[in-house]
Amino acid sequence: MIRDITIGQYYPEYSKIHKLDPRLKIVVTLVYIVSLFLVKDFIGYAIVFASIGLVVAMSKVPIRFILRGLKPIFLIIAFTFTLNMLMTKGTILWSWGFVRITEEGLYNAVFMALRLIFLIIGSSLLTLTTKPIKLTDGIESLLKPFKKMGLPVHELAMMMTIALRFIPTLLEETDKIMKAQQARGADFETGGLIKRAKAMIPLLIPLFVGAFRIAQDLAMAMEARCYHGGEGRTKLNALKFRGRDAAAIIFVVIYLSAVVAERIFV
Amino acid sequence: MSIKAENLTHIYNKGLAYETKAVDDVSFTAEDGEFIGIIGHTGSGKSTLIQHLNGILKPESGRIFIDDIEITSKNVKMTQIRKRVGLVFQYPEYQLFEETVLRDISFGPKNLGLSDDEVVERAMEAMRLVGLDFETYAERSPFELSGGQKRRAAIAGVIAMRPDVLILDEPTAGLDPKAHEDILNMIRSVKERAGGIVVLVSHNMGDIAEMTDRVLVMDGGKLVRDGAPAEIFADEEFLKGIGLGVPPAARMANVLAAGGLASDRSVLTLGDLTDFLANRLGGAGGGADDETPEVSR
Repeated sequence: MIRDITIGQYYPEYSKIHKLDPRLKIVVTLVYIVSLFLVKDFIGYAIVFASIGLVVAMSKVPIRFILRGLKPIFLIIAFTFTLNMLMTKGTILWSWGFVRITEEGLYNAVFMALRLIFLIIGSSLLTLTTKPIKLTDGIESLLKPFKKMGLPVHELAMMMTIALRFIPTLLEETDKIMKAQQARGADFETGGLIKRAKAMIPLLIPLFVGAFRIAQDLAMAMEARCYHGGEGRTKLNALKFRGRDAAAIIFVVIYLSAVVAERIFV
Repeated sequence: MSIKAENLTHIYNKGLAYETKAVDDVSFTAEDGEFIGIIGHTGSGKSTLIQHLNGILKPESGRIFIDDIEITSKNVKMTQIRKRVGLVFQYPEYQLFEETVLRDISFGPKNLGLSDDEVVERAMEAMRLVGLDFETYAERSPFELSGGQKRRAAIAGVIAMRPDVLILDEPTAGLDPKAHEDILNMIRSVKERAGGIVVLVSHNMGDIAEMTDRVLVMDGGKLVRDGAPAEIFADEEFLKGIGLGVPPAARMANVLAAGGLASDRSVLTLGDLTDFLANRLGGAGGGADDETPEVSR
């Protein structure tokens, strides 16, 4: 059950999108998010849909997998949809008591819901196609200019890498301990809030003990390999800008000009 | 008391790119009093298989009966299963959580809804069975015990539920030779006193040969062999082919046979080997009989 969480998950595949420079992918994702707010009508969304559709197809990540990422935010989408639909003034389409649905409201509701959906698809595509390690590499590289301002960029990136690296490990550990306690008759699934909270103790204590054990082992292993922070540290797989990255930039520029042109002229 | 598994299949990550069949159409039955060993290389589906036997995992298809209770059916109560089938996971010491050893061991029996007196009585019995002195250890924190003692306390937590079927997943992994021997002796004495069925999953072929009277061999999620240890370990080529091997004593006997000193019956345990050598060397022989010699490994 615990393995169903997909947010921030990586989908292993060998596609052109997977191979792109992570720095580029981060920047492009930001550009894409901004572009979504430039769109003012459905023709604009058609451009967005065509572009993101092409990228999804190229990434070889199954559509089903991407849509699964929408599940946890379904409530938020439904909530904004309803609010937009009911709260906008304009030509009344249908009314019942004080509930009024207006033409403009319906338009707004669909518009906002689409924006949210495109937003989630785009940003989940980033994590789906980029290994966490590469993602933090990219972030570290992009944040480098802030180093001069005293921001411990390398340390932050390392912390993020380790945190990301240990999410699956800790999930696995949780799963294991849960099973072991269930084998001893522990019940995590029934009862009221307080009973359930109490039932978590046999899970949380071994988990914390385990986390400290893992942290200690990791620190030892890092020191054994002479880790001493970011000073003078080089990378095995240095990020390199390649031909396909240039192609991606051209694609993004065309996309962005299309969106902007559509906003201005149509 | 009996276990019956029918056409068990379990699939991890169903519907994803990395979907794997961890258990593939496995059927077997086990009768009361049997001591079963399960062997197979890492990832062959042993752990997944045994987690089905007490309802922790639900199969994709297939059924399991413990006596007449179908534990794979939806309306069976989990406590009913866990009362009957005790499962000791790999590295069980990582599940310890209470302030004292006694309270940790009492966790299982308490969950069965027993009275306080009954719980303490069972915990005391379990501690005796695993060889932890009650006076010395009952009030100690489980986190300050040694590795071997922690493991024994954790196993006691399952034994205290008095299951009819006791399943142990690599109970000796990562222990030193002394603690290893202690755990095996503990399992023997639990089996002697409590009866029922014991299932031992292990990578140590020597232990399997010494302890069990029936061996199940897993490979790629399938149950590929099922028979007496002598039968299973007779086919060294096959076992090597799936990443396993034969017990050290059997290896020794095979080396001797290659050198022209063949035994007329199968040699599996160190006891067998000493008997055979004693006979061959014209000694009194049989002094050890089926007794396991005190040899550390």
